[in-house]
Amino acid sequence: MMRWPRDWGLQSRMIGTVAMLGVVYAAFVGFLVYLGVGTVMLLVIVAGALLIQYFLSDRLVLSGMGARLLAEDEAPQLHETMTRLSAIAGIPRPRLAVVDSTVPNAFAAGRSPKNAVIAVTTGLMQRLNRDELEAVLAHELSHVRNRDVVVITIAGLLSTAAFFIFRFGLSLGGSGRGYRGGGGGQIDPRAVLVIVALVAGAVYGASFLLIRALSRYREFSADRGSALLTGQPSHLASALAKISGLMERVPTRDLREVEGMNAFFIIPAASRGSILGILDSHPPVEARIAALERLEREMG
Amino acid sequence: MGFREALDALLGTGRIPEADTERLFAIATARVTMQAALGLEPAGSAALCFRPIDSARAARVRGEIEELLAFGREETGTSYRLETDQYRYTWVVLEDPDFEDLVAGIHLISQTLIERGYGPYLLCAVYAFDGNRRAYWIFTFKRGRYYPFVPVDEGRDSACEFRLRAMLERELPIETSVEEWYPLRGIPL
Repeated sequence: MMRWPRDWGLQSRMIGTVAMLGVVYAAFVGFLVYLGVGTVMLLVIVAGALLIQYFLSDRLVLSGMGARLLAEDEAPQLHETMTRLSAIAGIPRPRLAVVDSTVPNAFAAGRSPKNAVIAVTTGLMQRLNRDELEAVLAHELSHVRNRDVVVITIAGLLSTAAFFIFRFGLSLGGSGRGYRGGGGGQIDPRAVLVIVALVAGAVYGASFLLIRALSRYREFSADRGSALLTGQPSHLASALAKISGLMERVPTRDLREVEGMNAFFIIPAASRGSILGILDSHPPVEARIAALERLEREMG
Repeated sequence: MGFREALDALLGTGRIPEADTERLFAIATARVTMQAALGLEPAGSAALCFRPIDSARAARVRGEIEELLAFGREETGTSYRLETDQYRYTWVVLEDPDFEDLVAGIHLISQTLIERGYGPYLLCAVYAFDGNRRAYWIFTFKRGRYYPFVPVDEGRDSACEFRLRAMLERELPIETSVEEWYPLRGIPL
């Protein structure tokens, strides 16, 4: 029995990130409970749960992106490709939508595989060949199968709550006529508010970075899912290179032709620093392509 | 959603499910009812559709299957051909007037692919029937069930498909949600 290789490194990094997020959240909730804000906390969570439902609504996401649902006869080939991929993935076929934009891109929306929608831009359909387009659809299908919308939203629920506590705590605690230094045992309630706000701010900052890291790992996972579904990691790799404009950066002119023009000096050192990297929701395309190439070697 | 699926989702490792061939053989007995009640006869051909994988190992498996097919041609007189459709899926088309041989051939090829680890890439098996019109029974490996497909020009004869379902409900594991009855254009049968 043949088995696809598992990426244990990616798995353990993902588990580590989720665990750290859990610790940050648990500490935050513990801190709030210690202060005795049980009911407030409950209300915040209920409001957050309502927000989830709101933000997860696929129709909202679609209209926000200017996407239009595609009828079966509008793009029969695209639908057939999707039908077969979902049949192999063993999930219901998501609906297809199109966004009228020259920027090549695609996204998945929806709470569960049952009401998922996968949208592609017209630019993506023009730029990519059929194999690459299929690989991108398989990537989005993997997001649907991995329930990434739900995972990221739930991971961000307390983070959003912390952000609001930070904002309101700071404006409430910071308002008023200056800080009145307490003469006796009474603690200034505004000082407590400021401390709560600062803790919430720290929780927000830490969870933000962790969620971004989690999001990057999920991109790697979806890339992997696409490679396994199509059996061709190279198709997604070339699609990513095209979408990111990486191919345009590879020169087409002969080395001898450009040497006289001191070409080596104007090649931009475009590699981004790691400080910027930790804020990104997506891993750098070069890293994703490298991972796909590694997978292709393992699959051979 | 079971615990295993939930864990896979959390880890982002949703896997491709295995093929389910438990009820693939059911078509062998269903054929009698098709003849008696609907006047549909086996058209003498059946096919298996799967996603080709580009790798040295996949090429070896393909060679192995061709050997099996060549062997079957000598033993049972089942002729075969391999085709690639416009979506680059591979079709193994079998032709034999003996319906049992067709069923056995499809089973053997799918079983071989599953044993070599390519079960997740099996899309469907298709059996063709002829009467006053051409009808297909399509078996999807992920759901392990059959559904009818009666193409008419660019559309399909749903009334006929529902009749087929009504007649064969007892004998054939039929896909219950009709949303999954996806048409398959350009079946090379």
